[in-house]
Amino acid sequence: MGSSTVKRVSGILDRVLELIAQHFAWAQNPVVLARQTLAGISNGMLLFLISAGLSLIFGVLRILNFAHGAFFMFGALIAVSVAALFANPLAGFAAALIGGAAGLALLGAAIETNLLRRIYRAPHEMQLLLTFGLVFIMGDAAKLIWGREEHSVGMPAILTGSAHAFGVVFPLYRLFLIAAGATLAAGLWVALYRTRWGIFIRAATMDREMLSALGVNTRLLFTAVFALGAALAGLGGALAAPIVAVGPGLHVQVIIDAFVVVVIGGLGSVLGAFVASLLIGLVNAFGVLAFPSAAVVLTFACMAIVLIIRPRGLLGTAE
Amino acid sequence: MKAQLAAPLAAAAALLALPFGLSDFWVFISIEVLAFALYAVSFNLLLGYGGMLSFGHAAFLGVGGYTAGLVVKQSGLPPALTLVCLPVAAMLVSAAAALVIGFFSVRRAGIYFAMLTFAFQMLLYAVALKATALTGGDDGLTGLKPPGFLAQPRAYYYFALALTAASLYVLHHIVSSPFGYTLRALRANALRVQYLGIDVRAHRLAAFVVSGAFAGLAGAIFALVNGNVFPGWLDWTASATPIVMAVLGGTASFLGPAVGAAVYVVLEVLISGRTEYWPLAMGIIIVILVLLMPEGLTGLWKSAAVRFGARAAPLPSQEAR
Repeated sequence: MGSSTVKRVSGILDRVLELIAQHFAWAQNPVVLARQTLAGISNGMLLFLISAGLSLIFGVLRILNFAHGAFFMFGALIAVSVAALFANPLAGFAAALIGGAAGLALLGAAIETNLLRRIYRAPHEMQLLLTFGLVFIMGDAAKLIWGREEHSVGMPAILTGSAHAFGVVFPLYRLFLIAAGATLAAGLWVALYRTRWGIFIRAATMDREMLSALGVNTRLLFTAVFALGAALAGLGGALAAPIVAVGPGLHVQVIIDAFVVVVIGGLGSVLGAFVASLLIGLVNAFGVLAFPSAAVVLTFACMAIVLIIRPRGLLGTAE
Repeated sequence: MKAQLAAPLAAAAALLALPFGLSDFWVFISIEVLAFALYAVSFNLLLGYGGMLSFGHAAFLGVGGYTAGLVVKQSGLPPALTLVCLPVAAMLVSAAAALVIGFFSVRRAGIYFAMLTFAFQMLLYAVALKATALTGGDDGLTGLKPPGFLAQPRAYYYFALALTAASLYVLHHIVSSPFGYTLRALRANALRVQYLGIDVRAHRLAAFVVSGAFAGLAGAIFALVNGNVFPGWLDWTASATPIVMAVLGGTASFLGPAVGAAVYVVLEVLISGRTEYWPLAMGIIIVILVLLMPEGLTGLWKSAAVRFGARAAPLPSQEAR
């Protein structure tokens, strides 16, 4: 009796180990590991550009901006239009990045001053509905302005091709994305922790009334933060334009990933958004290998688990 | 007393006579209105009464819809039995889903509750997309038809009307009960309710399960008139639909969300029949709704009645929330 139970348990264990070996066979291949790690990090950097703005905006304005994915899409579409104006691909690429960021900064400022400003005191459902309305409007506006077809942006010659190291072949443009994302993250850190306005922004995430009472122009601060967040998303879209199919519908997956990131990282925390972006980028990159058909489930499961165990997110402050 | 009864009786007579004046197409639309009226009122049990902004209510519409689809396609029961099993199964399964989701979600309030419910809806969306054997994956469950004689549109209309009316009756009973008043108190001041010795979490969970069960029933009714269920029902853009319906009608009255659902469904039919840019139209409607008429259609009606001197009930205060 006892020995048969032992046998059965060891049989189950063998089966489990076999399954793990099947699903994780790639883990023994260092080339695959290195490639997926780099892919995960470069996707994480793009995610960070969207989620940093989303998180900042929630921290200061207390609004969960569902239109942020649409901002990313508009950044990519503006990049397509701007790049087409230049004969020199490198100049076109640089102008596309500037155009994507600047265009979205203007659009963000316009949306904040004309729409969001009116509903800061409204109940949550009104705020959610308004940003949802913007998603629908911008989604169709993109179709009306840029058409339904998918566009692409050429990448400058110096960023095409691949890097070779230790038997790993990796696209140069993705390495550039990692460098650009890291630079922007560092720049954002300096802006938030080493400048006067950065102090205002961090103070506003803690206590808006107190900041206002101290004589800081919070109206202007709100507009600036929303424009900054939108510009980051626009820049992210412009940076992603050469490696994604730019067309209507681009915003749909992007906003969900960004949403998962800010929830896991902690709403309002830019550092949390950075950590969670890398985490989700890597979970996606390796999840595809381990469970090819269920990688989507993994990200949502990650989010639900974090929300249940630590609702404020990894680095968020208490509710 | 007579005057009080006149309006409901007239409404009941109009709803009973409705299918005779309409083409088959509009009978289908009327059934859709019934399903979404129930959906919006069940949602408003949480938002309007309990002050809980569920951002994942589409989960239960979807669970109810898939359950109905599976009962019709897979159970192999005789039509008469299917008729009984359909609503019961849809409500039980979505109540069970609501119990699990609610157990984790109702511990949090405000925007965190909204995000938790949203996360669970997205989790179910991913499952609906990937559990192909059960849900049909991307294609969903197609070719669904009401069982037996209910395949006749007018017969199915009366079936849906009976289910919706009975559900609204039960829901109205619930919001007028001491439980309903406790929910309102929770919306106004949860901390104070807690100090009175009332189990806040249990009340919220109970409301969540009841609301989920009726949303599931709405999903079942809609699945069979729609003819198919697919993962899009659970997608993130679907989260906004019950909120738009409830706010459009007015969250401060019991039947307001039903009015909002009717207006929403009819607008969608009329606008999407003329242009492919229905999302654009809906976006504009949402922005106008939020900025200019946050009390919804019933709120507008009441303030108009006050302005023109009718003896209307005073406008319910929105400040409590």
